[in-house]
Amino acid sequence: MMDAKSIAEERLIVEVLRYRPEEDAAPVMESYEIPYIDGMSVLQALQYIKDYIDGTLSFRWSCRMAICGSCGMMIDGKPQLACQTILRAGDVRSLRVEPLKHFPIERDLVVTMSDFVSKVESIYPFIIPRSPRTPAEGEYLQTPAEMARFENFSDCINCMLCYAACPQFGENPNFLGPGVFALLQRYNGDSRDAGQNKRMELVHTENGAWSCTAVGHCSDVCPKHVDPANAVNQNKTNSALDFFLRFLPRRGQSERGV
Amino acid sequence: MRRPYLRPIDSLWWAKPPYLAYTLREATGIAIGAYALVLLAGVICLAVSENAYDAWLRFLASRWSLALHAIFLVAMLFHVWTWFAIMPKTMPRLVIGGRYVEPRLITATGVAIAALASLVLLVIALRILQ
Amino acid sequence: MKVMVVDMVIVGAGGAGLRAAIAAAEADPTLNILLVSKVYPMRSHTVAAEGGSAGVVRPDDSLEHHFNDTVTGGDWLCDQDVVDYFVAHCTEEMVRLEHWGCPWSRKPDGHVNVRAFGGMKIERTWFAADKTGFHMLHTLFQTSIKYPTIKRLDEHFCTELIVEDGRCHGVVAIDIASGEFTFVAAKAVIIATGGAGRVYQQNTNGGIVTGDGMAMAYRQGVALRDMEFVQYHPTCMPGSGLLFTEACRGEGGILINKDGYRYLQDYGLGPPDPWPRNKAMELGPRDRLSQAFWHEERKGRTIATPHGAAVHLDLRHLGAKKLRERLPQICELAESFLGIDPAEKPIPVRPAVHYTMGGILVDGETATALPGLYAVGECSSIGIHGANRLGSNSLAELSVFGKVAGESAARCARSLPPGPIATLEKQADDVCRRAINLIRTETGGERLAILRDAMAESMEMGCGIYRLGPQMKKTCDTLAELKERYRQLQLYDTSLGWNTEWLAAIELGYQIDVAQAIAHSALNRKESRGAHSRIDGFEQRDDANFLKHTLAAYRADGPPAISYRPVNITRSPPGKRAYGAEGERLDPHRKEQSHDGR
Repeated sequence: MMDAKSIAEERLIVEVLRYRPEEDAAPVMESYEIPYIDGMSVLQALQYIKDYIDGTLSFRWSCRMAICGSCGMMIDGKPQLACQTILRAGDVRSLRVEPLKHFPIERDLVVTMSDFVSKVESIYPFIIPRSPRTPAEGEYLQTPAEMARFENFSDCINCMLCYAACPQFGENPNFLGPGVFALLQRYNGDSRDAGQNKRMELVHTENGAWSCTAVGHCSDVCPKHVDPANAVNQNKTNSALDFFLRFLPRRGQSERGV
Repeated sequence: MRRPYLRPIDSLWWAKPPYLAYTLREATGIAIGAYALVLLAGVICLAVSENAYDAWLRFLASRWSLALHAIFLVAMLFHVWTWFAIMPKTMPRLVIGGRYVEPRLITATGVAIAALASLVLLVIALRILQ
Repeated sequence: MKVMVVDMVIVGAGGAGLRAAIAAAEADPTLNILLVSKVYPMRSHTVAAEGGSAGVVRPDDSLEHHFNDTVTGGDWLCDQDVVDYFVAHCTEEMVRLEHWGCPWSRKPDGHVNVRAFGGMKIERTWFAADKTGFHMLHTLFQTSIKYPTIKRLDEHFCTELIVEDGRCHGVVAIDIASGEFTFVAAKAVIIATGGAGRVYQQNTNGGIVTGDGMAMAYRQGVALRDMEFVQYHPTCMPGSGLLFTEACRGEGGILINKDGYRYLQDYGLGPPDPWPRNKAMELGPRDRLSQAFWHEERKGRTIATPHGAAVHLDLRHLGAKKLRERLPQICELAESFLGIDPAEKPIPVRPAVHYTMGGILVDGETATALPGLYAVGECSSIGIHGANRLGSNSLAELSVFGKVAGESAARCARSLPPGPIATLEKQADDVCRRAINLIRTETGGERLAILRDAMAESMEMGCGIYRLGPQMKKTCDTLAELKERYRQLQLYDTSLGWNTEWLAAIELGYQIDVAQAIAHSALNRKESRGAHSRIDGFEQRDDANFLKHTLAAYRADGPPAISYRPVNITRSPPGKRAYGAEGERLDPHRKEQSHDGR
């Protein structure tokens, strides 16, 4: 008796770049064939491989809803979040999955993240208050218009897709990079913060805003519409202004990048 | 055991999508520079002698020069377009009268002003020629 | 094996763990504090919380209202003294977060805005768009970077607590990247590892929510309390279980069945109009809404989808503008994963497991019965959620009790002498050996996924929205069997570095233990209360026999030992848990003047 499901069942070829440092000298492409269900995500495809075909496949994932930022990888040559890359009926017969470009590979689809996290930590990514306030005095007032000035930059999920898209980061791994600049501008643009001068030191350097040549691909691949290209390029203006105006007495609490 | 593996980057990244458009944009800068040299040559010839200047004018009218200037024109137009396309990225989000100004509007305004300025210059230049 | 000696170690770097670290660093800048997490802090599952965090601000609101909503919502299983402390400190913590940069959504005048939420009489839910947990977590993580005394071991997986002479002395962790072990010796240990929702098939949780800390404490003799109370969130994506925040309903969304009928009015939550109305219809508590779905499915009034039955969450009447402004992430979720624009079409939703009310038994200072060990956040049971948690109380819990935990543990670290490192190291060596032994080279065992799927399916069948004695018993038996089969687990990855199959195997061990605590606690509670609802003769709440907390104690060879402890009732005696029109009629505060909640 023919099973209707098995006749109709489609198969998907998934090619994955594998790397097991304890065994492999260099990364090698491996191919898997899995049952394909319409609407499945690339993450679900990888989970199927790990659960039922090859338990040695390692990859980062968690929330499955594009908010934790764990599952960034190159899917058919484009940096994407695996959980949010949905495969629809008829479109796809095969898939190529590789770890995020421009990062060293630790294992399979897992890349080294520690440098990125160090860069995040280096930019004073916290409110340096413009004026002190105790909790008893209640919240700082901030209008929706003031919040709109930095809100999109605060949406960054640290997925690092923008780093895979940025060719200047590929050339210079010490470049602070789009994501870190988004976070920097998130604080610089926050009306409650007065840390712009402190952060300016990092913006001025060769690894700061001046490594960027406005390719703009980072903003194209960002899954959260953060627009990191804007964050970096605004700061070229800020850096230049800061340089030329440095002879003037510091306005101290003045706003930058207005 | 950790043994991170760094994949070499593609040395021809700039020649392939999605970066090819960016490379062409940057290349227009070379065309601008080349055009500036042509104009500089004209200024220098003017300072040297009337003969030198006439030679420069003859060069300008030649077929090679016309072809070169056609390339310059295309490059200049692309340069203007991409210049204003990237301009919104270099500034904080613009809010006018409480409303957020879309980047496309900024680009369109810039291109419109450039077009208008070009038109005015063209009219003036044609008037002078008459 | 590396050895690190610190003053305080915090296992888990989500909202609660980070808040505890900051509190400890502020309480005592001389202490060295170590945060150990199996993922980078911004990946912690706090990041996925959407709706908001509670804190009384409106002049017509009061701590008394928040207290009553919480105790009623918890079906009187809350420890009322702890609830009093909680509601009194929420607002201060939310303000503190704001000072640290949390981008709370604002009113036009610049003050923080609050919105309506399920089971809350008056609007008191602070929100940051519809990504509150994301913003709180990133604010806490970025703020923690300010303190030089807070250090982290990122991507280190904790396997066991080190306990000697009746005191907790630290934890052993695997460096995920290399597979090497580190023994962290500490004078105070805080567990902040989150819930255990992944023991169920359909859940809103991320892959990391596997009850690690609950199991680690449990195996050392610390009781797990009220484990049977597992919250189903009523509006989740069919199949994946991904969450559509309660805020959808707070903003005015409605739930309709296949006939376009707002069915909640049939379940004591009506009348449907005027709408919106707090604590009525779609703003009723989560357990009631999930139970209503179950009944609708039985009656055949749900909509069939490729991933099971669903009802419709209708947001169309909110309009595209309000949707983009107030619920942007929801719109993206619906569009990316379902190809639906909520302004045009309703969203198919169904209940999925979301939160574990129960957890590690702690007192009001977050201390467990084991000296040196503290627990905070979803992994703990401090007594504020009772039998059913109200939305936006959990994010507030992270801050309020995160601070308490940090300060309590700091006092402990200052006052206790260091442990006997040499002796402890030997214990730690044994822990390493036990962990490594999971990677066996013999073949013939079962795949991890088979056992995990069997556990999840069994929990869904036996300990779901409605429970029956025989089904729960069957789940208990299945879990005992799975525990046996687990001994013969076959791992295919024999490497040490980034062996996520190995780590998943350890997580499965944790999950089976926690699942047993849930199932046996459920089997023994012969009444219905809050999220634990039975349809086998025990449909009513039985305050005479069961107004008490369940304790599950680990036994190495066999199911957990179940016992009971009284609930601390101070001033709100158990009443009728009513919502909708009935709730309004019974509300004793209906005609009271408003109090200043601050």
